[in-house]
Parts: sequence; C-alpha cells; structure tokens
Amino acid sequence: MPPAVTDVRSFLLPDLGEGLTEAEVVAWHVAPGDTVALNEVLVEVETEKAVVELPSPFAGTVVELFASSGDTVEVGAPLISIETADSAAAPDVASAPTAEKVSVLVGYGPSEPAPSRRRRRGGGRTRHDRPEQPSITPLPSQPTTPGATGSRPLAAPPVRFMARQQGVDLAEVTGHGPGGIVTREDLAAHLATSTPPRQGERETRSPVRGVQKHMADAMVRSATTAPQACVFLTVDVTPTSELLGRLRANERLEGVKLTMLTVAARAVVLALRDHPALNSSWDDVTKEIATKHYVNLGIAVAGPRGLVVPNVKDAHDLGFRDLATALETLTERARSARSTPAELSGGTITITNVGVFGVDAGVPLLNPGEAAILALGAVQRRPWEHDGEVALRDVVTLSLAFDHRLVDGEGASRFLRAVGGTLADPTNLIVLS
Amino acid sequence: MAIAQLKVPAERLTAWADYDGLVQLISVDGQRTVGCPHWDLVADVDALQLRDLYRDMAIVRRLDAEAMALQRQGELGLWAPLLGQEAAQVGSARALRPDDFAFTSYREHGVAYCRGVDPVDMLRMWRGSGLSGWDPARYNIATPAIIVGSQALHATGYALGLTLEDAKSAVITYFGDGATSEGDIAEALGFAASYMVPLVFFCQNNQWAISEPVRLQSHASIAQRGRGYGIPGVQVDGNDVLAVLAATRLALARAYAGQGPTLIEAVTYRMGPHTTSDDPTRYRSRAEEEEWRAKDPLVRLRALLHSEGVADDGFEHEVAAAAGNAATALRSGVLDMPNPEPAALFEHVYADPHPLLEAERDTYLQYLAEYDEVS
Amino acid sequence: MAIATVTNPTTAAATSVATGHVTTMSLGKALNAGLRQAMTNDPKIVLMGEDIGKLGGVFRVTEGLQADFGERRVIDTPLAESGVIGTAVGLALRGYRPVCEIQFDGFVYPAFDQIVSQVAKFRYRNEGRVGLPITIRIPYGGGIGAVEHHSESPEAYFAHTAGLRVVTPSNAGDAHRMIQQAIASDDPVIFFEPKRRYWEKGDVDTDAPLDAMPLHRARVVREGTDITVAAYGPMVTTSLEAAGIGTEEGISLEVVDLRSLSPIDFETLETSVRKTGRLVVVHEAPVFGGLGAEIAARVGENCFYSLEAPVRRVGGFATPYPPSKLERHFLPDADRILHEVDRCLQP
Repeated sequence: MPPAVTDVRSFLLPDLGEGLTEAEVVAWHVAPGDTVALNEVLVEVETEKAVVELPSPFAGTVVELFASSGDTVEVGAPLISIETADSAAAPDVASAPTAEKVSVLVGYGPSEPAPSRRRRRGGGRTRHDRPEQPSITPLPSQPTTPGATGSRPLAAPPVRFMARQQGVDLAEVTGHGPGGIVTREDLAAHLATSTPPRQGERETRSPVRGVQKHMADAMVRSATTAPQACVFLTVDVTPTSELLGRLRANERLEGVKLTMLTVAARAVVLALRDHPALNSSWDDVTKEIATKHYVNLGIAVAGPRGLVVPNVKDAHDLGFRDLATALETLTERARSARSTPAELSGGTITITNVGVFGVDAGVPLLNPGEAAILALGAVQRRPWEHDGEVALRDVVTLSLAFDHRLVDGEGASRFLRAVGGTLADPTNLIVLS
Repeated sequence: MAIAQLKVPAERLTAWADYDGLVQLISVDGQRTVGCPHWDLVADVDALQLRDLYRDMAIVRRLDAEAMALQRQGELGLWAPLLGQEAAQVGSARALRPDDFAFTSYREHGVAYCRGVDPVDMLRMWRGSGLSGWDPARYNIATPAIIVGSQALHATGYALGLTLEDAKSAVITYFGDGATSEGDIAEALGFAASYMVPLVFFCQNNQWAISEPVRLQSHASIAQRGRGYGIPGVQVDGNDVLAVLAATRLALARAYAGQGPTLIEAVTYRMGPHTTSDDPTRYRSRAEEEEWRAKDPLVRLRALLHSEGVADDGFEHEVAAAAGNAATALRSGVLDMPNPEPAALFEHVYADPHPLLEAERDTYLQYLAEYDEVS
Repeated sequence: MAIATVTNPTTAAATSVATGHVTTMSLGKALNAGLRQAMTNDPKIVLMGEDIGKLGGVFRVTEGLQADFGERRVIDTPLAESGVIGTAVGLALRGYRPVCEIQFDGFVYPAFDQIVSQVAKFRYRNEGRVGLPITIRIPYGGGIGAVEHHSESPEAYFAHTAGLRVVTPSNAGDAHRMIQQAIASDDPVIFFEPKRRYWEKGDVDTDAPLDAMPLHRARVVREGTDITVAAYGPMVTTSLEAAGIGTEEGISLEVVDLRSLSPIDFETLETSVRKTGRLVVVHEAPVFGGLGAEIAARVGENCFYSLEAPVRRVGGFATPYPPSKLERHFLPDADRILHEVDRCLQP
C-alpha cells in the first residue's frame, strides 16, 4: 500500500467577524505531536472580552504551535501547523488577512482595498490619454466640417466664450479635436487668418494674433530672460561709401544689391572670429554656454504684418558677393511674407537696420537665444574730424546690445570697435578675410 | 420523509387551535404526557416515524454545528445557529405537504432541510457567494428574509393568491419573538384575518432577540396576539417535536378547510448566540442556559425512544454516521464553492434590458480589462 | 392659483400611430380605460388598494372596475400601505400581476421598506429565478390646494433604487398606454400619476398598438431651437405654457417630456440639447438632490462640447411642501421657468 500523501498546512487566525485585529491566545487544547480530528477544538482565543474556541480545519498531527498562551496573534498570522494525511488539495485555510478591521455585527467586516494600484496591462495609456467616453451616447467619430447642416459645432465652454468675444461663428471653424471638437488652437488658427479689427467710437480693438503676437511674445521673452546692456560707436564711414559707389558701378556686380548694411554684415561675421562670445547662447536648463562654430546671421526686416527676422545660414562661409545676394533674397522674401520657418529660426546673431527709417541709433532688443544684436543707423552727413580739420563726412552710429550673462562691457566694446573699424576702413574686408 | 396526514374533525379544529394551555406531548424527561387532547393529532406517528424525526433533528444539529465551525475557520462570513430549536423547525416542517409553501427568517435551516434544499446551497448567502441559494419554486420555500418580519406579509399575499384560486394548499411563515414587534407582522395578521387566508403564523419564541429578552417585546403571551385579529393561537412546547407536529398539523388542517389563519407560538430557546458575531455572555447567565439545556429536544426524544425500546446502539450509530456524512458533504461543498465573477454583479437586476445598467457593466468590465488580476 | 386647463395638441400627434379610435378624455378616465383593457387581456392582473373597489378610488381612477371584474380582482385592502405592498409580493410569487394603489404620495413612506428592500431587490436576490411584476400606482405632485402629505414628489427616492422602473405620464394619451405597458412589464414599476392633471383632457387612441411608443422613451412634445426644457409629469403642461409665452417674446423653446425617470432616455434628450445647446430641467420636487441634478450632471458630461450655458434647474425649495396658501410660490410656474431660460440665453 503506497504511503499516504502528507501535507503540512497552517491555520491562520481568521477574521471572526467581531472587529478583530488580533486575538490573545488563552489556552491551547493541543500540543505538538497530538492527533487532532476535524473540528476538534485547538485553542481558545480571547477577542474583546469574549473567549472563542477555534475548531481545527484539518485532521492530522500537530506539528507546531506558533504562539504561546498569553501571546497576541494578528489576524492572518499562523496559529498552528498540522500535518494532514488528506491529499485533497484545499488551500490553506484563512480569510483575507487585513490589518485594520471595524467592529461589525454581521459579515466579514469591511475589507481594505489593495494597498497599491494594480498594474496596467501592456503598459497601456493612462486614463488621461483616452478620449472622452461618455457612458451612454458616443460622440461622432469624424471631424466636423464647418457649416455641416443639422449638427451644432462642438466646443468646450471656454472656447465658445472666446469665440463669442472675438465675434467668431464656430460653425465656420474647422475642428480638429476628437469627434470634430473645435479646440482652442483651432480657434486661434482661425483668428490668425483674416478677421478685421473692431472699430469703436473712442477706440479700435484689434485682436492680437499671427506675426504681431509672435513678435510680442519674442520681445517679452527677450526682455525678461536676458540682462541686456548696450554700447554705442559712431564712425566715419566715408571710405566705405566711396567704395560702395565704385562697386555699384562695376558691371560684374550689376544686379547685386550693395549697401552699408552689406558691409556691416560682413564686418560682423569677420569680427566674430576674434570675439566668439558674441556668437553664443545661454542654456539655462543645462547651465551651459553654447558657443557656435558657425554664424547664422539674422537680419531684421519689416514685413507686411510686422517684424520678422530671417537669417542667412552659415554666413561665415559666404564670400562678400554671396552674402550680399543671400541678404537680398532673404529680405525680399520677408517683405513679401514668404519666409519659411527654417529661415526664421536658428539665428546666432542679428543685425537690424534702423537707418532705413532715418534714425541715428537705437537700443535694440536681443533676438531671444542670441548673445548680441547690432543696430545700424542711417548714414548721415555730419561735420567730423578729418585729418585734423572739421569736414563734412559720412557718419554712422552703431548700437550693440548684448546679453550681459555671456559678454561683458569690454568684450562688447572690443567687438563693436572691430566692426566699426571695418566700416571706417573697408580694406579690412580684405585684410581680415 | 413526509409524515402521513391525519384527518381531524372540523369542530375540534378551532377549539384545539384556540387553546389556553401549553401543548406538551413529551415531558422533559422523555415521557409521553397524559391528558392533552392534541395527542389525537399525532396518534398515527409510529416508532419508525419517531426515529425519522430524531434522525432529522440530529442531522440538522450536526449541519448547524459544522456551519459554525466553518465560520470560525473563515469559510463563512456569518452564521445564525439554530441550536436548541431543532424540534420546533423539524416538527413543523414535517407537517407540511409538498405543495405547501414556506416563508422563513434567516434561522430556519432546519425547515429548509426538511423541504429538500441542499445544505450547501443554504450556505451560499452566508459565504457571500450570492444573496440566495435555491429556486423557491423548486422546493416551495422562499429565500430567507433578513428584514425582520417582512416575510409574514409575503406569506399573506401568497396565501391570498391561493384563496383567489380556491387552491387546496396552505402557507406557513416562520418568525421569532423579536419580529412580533414589527409593524409588518401586525399588518400581516390583519390582512390574513380579513381575507381568511390559509396561513400558519409560526413564531419560534426562543426567548431572545439578540440581547433583548422576550419580555421587552411583549408582556402578554405571543400566542394570544392573534386574538385581537380574530386569529386563534396555540402555545406549544417548542422543544417537543410531537407537540410541534401536532399543533402545525392542526393549523394546516384549519387552513385547508378554509377556516383561515392560526398563530402558533413554539416556546423554545436559542442555545447559541444570535450569530457568530454575538457574545451571549454579555447579557444572559450560564444558569439560564443550563436550565434550558436540561430541556434539550434531542435528549428528550432520545429518552422516549430508548424507554420505548425502539432505539438501540445500531440506530445511534446509524444516525451518527448519517450526521457525520452530511457534515462532511457540507464542508467539501462549501470549500469547493466557486467565487462569483465580477460580471455577475450586474446580472438579474431587471427582467428586461436596461440601458444604464448595460452601459455601466460594459464600462466596468472594460476598466477591469486594463489591469492585471489582483492576486 | 388657477389650474391651467391646456390641451396638448402635439402629444398624441407627434409619434403615436393613430389607427382608428381617438377620443378626448381626462387623464383619470384614460387610466381607467387602460386598466380595464389590461385586466380584460390578462386574468392574472389583480388591483389592490384602499378604497379602490366600491368607491372606485378617491380620484375615481378605478371606478366601475370592481363591479365588472369582481372582488377577487379588484381588492379593497385594510388601511396599511406596507401591508398592501408586502401582500402584493406574495401574490406575485404565486403568479399574479398585482397593481397596487397608494392613495397619496405622502402615504408611500410606510411601504418604503417593502418597496426598496423587497420589491426592488427580489429578482437580484434570487439571482433571476423569480421576479415581481408589480405595478405601484401613486398619485403625486401638488397644485390642488391640499393639506399636508398630499402634494409630495418622492420620485427621486425610487429612481435612485436599482431594480425599480419609474415612469410618469403627463397627458391622457400617454397615461392610457403607459399604464398598460407598466403592468405588462416583468419588472416592478412605480407609476407616478400627476394628480393635478387628472381632470385634464387629451386625445387617447384606444386602438393604437402599445409598442408604438416604448414605455421608457422620452418625447419631444414641442419643437424649438433656442433651448431645451426637460420636464415630466405635471410640469410638462407648465413647460408648454412657458413655451407659448416664449414664442410671443421671440424665444423658441423645445420641450421634452421625459416620461420615464428610471431609466431616463438620455439619447432623446441629448439629441435635443446638441441641437439647442441649452437645457433647463423642471420638476416640482425640491431642486437639491432632485432628478434634475442627475440629468444636469449626465448631460453636462455627455454634451459638454455642445453647451452654450450651464444646465439649469427649476424646482421646489429645500423645504417641506408648504401650506396651500403658499404653494404657488413653491411650485414652478411658467414665469419661473422662463426666468431660468433667460439666464441660460444670456450671453
């Protein structure tokens, strides 16, 4: 006869439904080695002044007692282990072990929820990623086209409010949110296209949008992130004026636009070789200064909708003529509002030609992310010192604003003198190349 | 096992139902009493049937004890033991015909057993696997009522249905002494009397409603309560299985004969706690328990059987074995009981589709599917 | 306050299939006819309640039925509401289809336990093996100048209880059809009858098939474009009055008669709200914790992107029902409804 299959099973202190968190062992009725029958009283435990007898869930031989008389046992902790001859695979007997129980008259008592959230299957999306699922009626699944008959445009109340304020009929806006909802962005994009300003009696209100909004945002960013200082230099550029005159007359340069700005641009590029700090940017996230090994020269242009700043990529690699051509192309495109996003980003230093407006100088605001911006004033005919005497000369004021985190006054001044030096003496264009 | 019904002359029915004494046919020490007219109602009960009654009570007691143990072992959330009330339940339930219908409280496991309900099914609601355990129509016994006293009205309505059909069966409703304070019992007595329905009101006065003694529920005998409604009442020794059988047969006979409802007060004792969460040592004395232990229903019937020479060791062993087997089957059935699936939560709320419920079910099952199983 | 007698021109016309026999009758008479029709078709239907037999009911809704169907089918009961419902449970278990009357809304509370603990939960408790096809008719609502406890609106307690279905007709045509559908339902139904409308007349098509309009579907009783007004029971008539005034003022109200309070037909309601973008819910019951709150929350969730304004509610105050001299202040009227409508329409 084959030997009986034995199994050592533990009896864990069950929840007796009396608000137990624990019980005190009063008296054992069995000892290790004793044979016990099913339901035979094993132990008396005391719970809140009532003594309860616990009957054995198994028949077998007592192996070990896990508590002594007088010990306190927690609900769910093992009381006794019994070696059973019963091979029926019933699981260890215990109720759900809980730490805290509330006294109840009936039932298992309140059970604690699992202490930690269950793991999501497949590492799936969180609740917040799921689009709105109304419990009974589903939203339409396609984006609604504006003007679709029968259905009203969908939009969150704040967007509706905004649309109402702006005088926009939501039915005319294409919605790209789930189910065709008109989102805040959709409304903004719509407003960026054509709505005219509202004319009142005492004031006219124009919505802030598009280019204007972008410029305003950039200026605010610039003003609030970088501490800016400015140095000025006024130079006699008569030799450059004369050179430009001769270059313009040269047939080989016909059609190429050459101005003081062109020379200033080349002068800046050349000066940066010795003053790379003005071609850097401040990374506040990594707390690093990025000094560029290239020059993307930005040029401020008054576009039809406002200020745009396209930049010539790798201007340091361009010869004078190519630089001139590039600048002209960029400017033309910006003036006709055809600048591409690529052209409008990635600049490392900027020139702004305030001279075309007839002013002498200005304190320009940095293009955010750059270390310096040079404002070129108008070429003015002024009495100036020349060869020890007062003479009428072509004079230009240069204004250099700089990020004082990256450049100090000395650095900025030296750079400006270098630029000014080339404008005063255009032979530097050859000497420094 | 059913017991043959005895035909009782109509004129005696009401007289015996409106009885002023305590009906007792077996004395505490196991002797047949003398002089009680209700003996006629059980004159047919022979030795074999007496042994059957004893076996029923022994098995019922054993099942009840096993359920208590299972609760102490963490397999049931709660149990309301009937220890001490075996005679009241078996004696009355064995008087019923198969097509009679029973409405009970949560303690009448003995009645359910006699109706043929599988004891494992009885424990479903106590284990928390469901809110009920069996099909009422299959065994002609309703799901036990937890709201105290509510079942008496249901029984009244069912009996009213029988009246409308001129049906020949009857209804019995069980409740305790505590329940008699509930308004629903009063309304049931009133309705039952007004419509003269075929209904037996069976009150097990086990002396305690949790910690409240019966004297708090009533200063007058519960058997007399029906008189105010014109319902005759008889008080019986609830630990005397023959007296209980006699009284119930009487009440059923009245019902079948169209004489309307009867109220039976079976005087017994709740030997155990109200439920497994209760501690009787807080409100009653050991002495009182011992006093009632001396009136134990099985002990006295056993004594009667022995004194009449109809129970030998062989019989005792057979009964013990039957009881042991029943307990073993109960234990394994309970331990094997499957836990309900989450989807079962949403089932059987309505007969017809309900959009809100379906949406909630779908949403919840979808939600569950996003998480791993809780171990 | 004068009780408006308004016939509802659009109710029967809108969706019901008028097949043949259309008469004009009061809502009370329409219920009577519906009960009669149901009892004729199903011998298991048994009416029970106080004073419903010989007297024919305090509102005459069961008039003549005991004479025609007998005392075994129209049962006068003792004065015990819990007894009526509890007995009905037993009858239903025996295979009958009881239709219980609670005489007045304020008297349902003694039966509350039998309704919510027993009737509502029976099928669930018995895991589908038995159900209780019980209909409980309750006259409800105010506006009849009554004494205390005769003007309650307890529908939220029952709609909140799972296992029950709750419906309420607003007009004679619906009353006639819905009482039959409620009785035919295998689920327990609480049938709220707007008592102030018992005498209002409307069109009833006694030949129309019952399933032409499902029991739990809401109906647009008046189309409009500016705002949806959702109402039920006695407030549907009031809402239609408000809509009429609105037209004169240049606002177009769409009125939805919910008809069913559990389940609520959100599909119909939300279609309307997506069209108009605004919603006001009207009921006599106090606003706080009333069904308007559930409707507002759910419509808010489901129609968020269509709403021009928050969902507003008009209803009673957080007081017990007032003495009759004050009830006109408690009950929403057309002006109170339009006041909330205006607030919704404000930019």
